[in-house]
Amino acid sequence: MAAVAAPTRAEVLSLFRSLLRTAKQFSDYNIREYTRRRAADAFRDNRALADPPAAAAAFAEGKKQLEVARRQAVVYSLYAPKAKSVMELKVQ
Amino acid sequence: MALSRRLLPLFLRRGAPAVRALSTAAAPAAAVASEEEEESITVKGVRISGRPLYMDMQATTPVDPRVLDAMLPFYLSRYGNPHSRTHLYGWESDAAVEAARASVASLVGADPREIFFTSGATECNNIAVKGVMRFYRDRRRHVITTQTEHKCVLDSCRYLQQEGFEVTYLPVRSDGLVDLAQLEDAIRPDTGLVSVMAVNNEIGVVQPLEEIGRICKEKGVPFHTDAAQALGKIPIDVNRMGIGLMSLSGHKIYGPKGVGALYLRRRPRIRVEPQMSGGGQERGIRSGTVPTPLVVGFGAACEIAAQEMDYDHRRVSALQQRLLDGIRAQVDEVVINGSMEHRYPGNLNLSFAYVEGESLLMGLKEVAVSSGSACTSASLEPSYVLRALGVEEDMAHTSIRFGIGRFTTEEEVDRAIELTVRQVKKLRDMSPLYEMAKAGIDLKSIEWSQH
Repeated sequence: MAAVAAPTRAEVLSLFRSLLRTAKQFSDYNIREYTRRRAADAFRDNRALADPPAAAAAFAEGKKQLEVARRQAVVYSLYAPKAKSVMELKVQ
Repeated sequence: MALSRRLLPLFLRRGAPAVRALSTAAAPAAAVASEEEEESITVKGVRISGRPLYMDMQATTPVDPRVLDAMLPFYLSRYGNPHSRTHLYGWESDAAVEAARASVASLVGADPREIFFTSGATECNNIAVKGVMRFYRDRRRHVITTQTEHKCVLDSCRYLQQEGFEVTYLPVRSDGLVDLAQLEDAIRPDTGLVSVMAVNNEIGVVQPLEEIGRICKEKGVPFHTDAAQALGKIPIDVNRMGIGLMSLSGHKIYGPKGVGALYLRRRPRIRVEPQMSGGGQERGIRSGTVPTPLVVGFGAACEIAAQEMDYDHRRVSALQQRLLDGIRAQVDEVVINGSMEHRYPGNLNLSFAYVEGESLLMGLKEVAVSSGSACTSASLEPSYVLRALGVEEDMAHTSIRFGIGRFTTEEEVDRAIELTVRQVKKLRDMSPLYEMAKAGIDLKSIEWSQH
């Protein structure tokens, strides 16, 4: 990872959008909400990351998490229970 | 013809349950005879509109998708026995197990060689309590523990008593914490073990581990702590806290069920008599093939916990405050069981006065909560933990434990508040006791007529 250039703004935004898109694909209410929230919080916390190696490391971590989320969104969809969480149903 | 037409609807009506029963029998994978239709689920005769929101994090936690992602390869191609020394399958599994061991060790500040994988915290507690005492049985005949320990520690102690050991069950203060002076006084020259749990499973209080560890070190007694509910939630450092033995569990930290780890100090060395005889895996402390996928999942869960502890803690604390404020704003006479100051915020154990606990739990079908520990919720007896705190029997009967975790959302907390408040108000409206209490009658002064 040494001497890796910091990711461009466009690359960061694209990664963020991919994570949010993948988060939406989780069939499980809690995992879906968590993935979205955790990604948003991580990008917000790292917004001021100026140091290029640190920014590159955070970017690489984000890409790794995206791969995990993509695989797991598929796994979750394969075994999704028929009934939804009460949180996804309309309030009576 | 006319007759049969009249009979037909009757037949259909009677036929319907039989068809349903058949359909569940045809799907043996569904262990519980549950029916999931599009609109509702029926399990054990209870009909609910959807899967309940989960707030029973002390019983178990959902598996983190990152944990499952780490485990799956070891259920697919990498199925080797980590103890196989003669081929790649064994080597890759062994490497994965050792990496997981390092992750677990690093989360508690231990050396990887001090970590022994087991089937869970119950097994660890058994090895620790019985194992230490049996190993040092010639000189050490006395064990100290507390009245609020987990069942498996208490039962191990009972077992030791039958074998002729002496056990002191320390009482706890009304906030659930152990009295350090009392602990110090209880230590005798022949005390072989002090076992105090880190975070209580029912009331979430955090015991002063560092102080207990210091006392034990001064007296030269090994200190065992059951940290199943503490791992990954509060910082643990075995050296700073003077811990000699520690029980850990995978499924309380978003890892898989069926795996745990025992921490066993090397310097000064603490030895135990193993419970299991066999192939001598885990340095002979716990024979039996190490389950690679589970151990890998446990390791991944520890790694994530190390990274996420601060983030999760901030979130869980905020949600706990939201839940408590929300309930207290709408319902009076709510009592928090256990210290609020020394508490893991993911556990909120509340008692609602003048409400019957079982009715409250049954009314909260859409919230998966428990009145206490899953192990004892089968019995109608009030929790022995709450009794040890000196909680009155009627209040102990009405306790509900709300568990908040990594995946709990604000909306779930709000819904839990709404449903709990609605149910408590409904039950209190029916309760003559609540009416009398509101009218200023002291319920304790009433002499109930005997039947």
